[in-house]
Amino acid sequence: MSYKIPMGPYHPALEEPYKLDLICDGETICDAKLHIGFNFRGIEHLAETRNYIQVVALMERVCGICSFIHTLTLCQAMEKLTGHAPPPRAQYIRVIMGELERLHSHVLWAGIAAKLMGFKTMFMTCFEIREKVMDILQAISGNRVNYSMNRIGGVNRDIEDPAAVLAMVEALEKEMAHTVIPIFTTSTTARSRCAGIGVLSHEKATSCGVVGPNARASGVPQDLRKSAPYAAYEQMEFDVPVQPDGDVRARLLVRALEIMESCKILRQALAKLPPGEISTGDAKLVFTPGTATSRVEAPRGEVMYSVSWKENSRNPSRVHVRTPTYVNMPAVRWMVLGARLADTPLIQASIDPCYSCTDR
Amino acid sequence: MISLDTIRERLGVADEFTESGGVCWLAVGKASVRDVAAVMNSCEARFITITAYQLMGNDGLRLEYHWDLCGRLLGFSFLLAGNSIDSIFDLCEAVDWIEREIHEEYSVEFLGRAYEPLLLREGDAPGVNLREEFAK
Repeated sequence: MSYKIPMGPYHPALEEPYKLDLICDGETICDAKLHIGFNFRGIEHLAETRNYIQVVALMERVCGICSFIHTLTLCQAMEKLTGHAPPPRAQYIRVIMGELERLHSHVLWAGIAAKLMGFKTMFMTCFEIREKVMDILQAISGNRVNYSMNRIGGVNRDIEDPAAVLAMVEALEKEMAHTVIPIFTTSTTARSRCAGIGVLSHEKATSCGVVGPNARASGVPQDLRKSAPYAAYEQMEFDVPVQPDGDVRARLLVRALEIMESCKILRQALAKLPPGEISTGDAKLVFTPGTATSRVEAPRGEVMYSVSWKENSRNPSRVHVRTPTYVNMPAVRWMVLGARLADTPLIQASIDPCYSCTDR
Repeated sequence: MISLDTIRERLGVADEFTESGGVCWLAVGKASVRDVAAVMNSCEARFITITAYQLMGNDGLRLEYHWDLCGRLLGFSFLLAGNSIDSIFDLCEAVDWIEREIHEEYSVEFLGRAYEPLLLREGDAPGVNLREEFAK
């Protein structure tokens, strides 16, 4: 006999509210339905009532972890409409902030995954490291969550002492290379809780349009930093880690390897930071009527903004946000099919979901 | 990698792709949204999203379909005759949530598919979120 087990919207295994109705046969999951909308704030509608300065502050609040990435994507789209291309130094600072945010996101996720594996010591270690990433972000921007770094035509704050930031990054890299990476890649606990669980096949990942580390863990070598480079990524040398297995362990490995690649990018960007201005200045902005689109590789995958402007308007006429979790979440249904009920919290967490982004 | 000219030929379109605002746009003429989806599938392009726009006055709605072809962003725009358009859900699984969201936010009917309960605001009437006349 099958029966339905509702998980969420408020549940100890979920970091944010959403609902999963699991149809079970004994301990085995036969089907699942996802319900979102518990964080719906109408942000796209609100954006139409904000001017071009206010809308940057608003979109920074779509997501608490990828706040920099959201304003970067929005500003890149608005830069296409205003013709204000950021100077090279600003492009490098955008890369540095983007990669620090990726480190922050991946380490935070690793901590949560460790907790769900029953590996509480690792949770503490990850959150200690995360604090250090946030210290670097604070040293650069003055803020720990919403950084207020992006503006149309550049960034708001300079990195005056790249050597000091580089020293902090190197210390962080060393610590991660000695703790997080070996434990996640070799520990028996991580292996036994993650291998062969929550499998998303390459075919299903492709047909669902899954993005980011989840796609790369299913053997889809997709990364906008390589295929459609933005900011200063064209000048960076790095690899895109891909794993073929599609299980929770593959998603863990991809993110662990990405942490090391991010450190590699950070070292290059800080060492090569070009001199010059960090923005195009305070000249009045004139928007060309029309629509512009921008895409960025966020820690969870591709973010896309479409921004439309009407003639002589201070406000956008439309802002559409496509977040990575929005396309990754439907794949959870396929990941939990045939899985044990007890593995569900870890499987859903393995996509690193952000419901705040998804609901907007 | 399949060229943009191949896509035009497969859709039977004479006009060239034009780049604007970071997107390569193609005016598809008589080709339907399902024709475009079938060609995109044959090129192994990745579906990204649909963006809906409410046009001025009584001009209706415009839907823009975005696809990624090896890092290149392709756009296809469709003006809606009335409030409906064919669904491409059977051709492209990835459109499921965005079709349901646009149905909810703009009250657009995607023909040829069954709807699950509303996605973001379950229980509310379709169109209340972004469509102006419904909001009033």
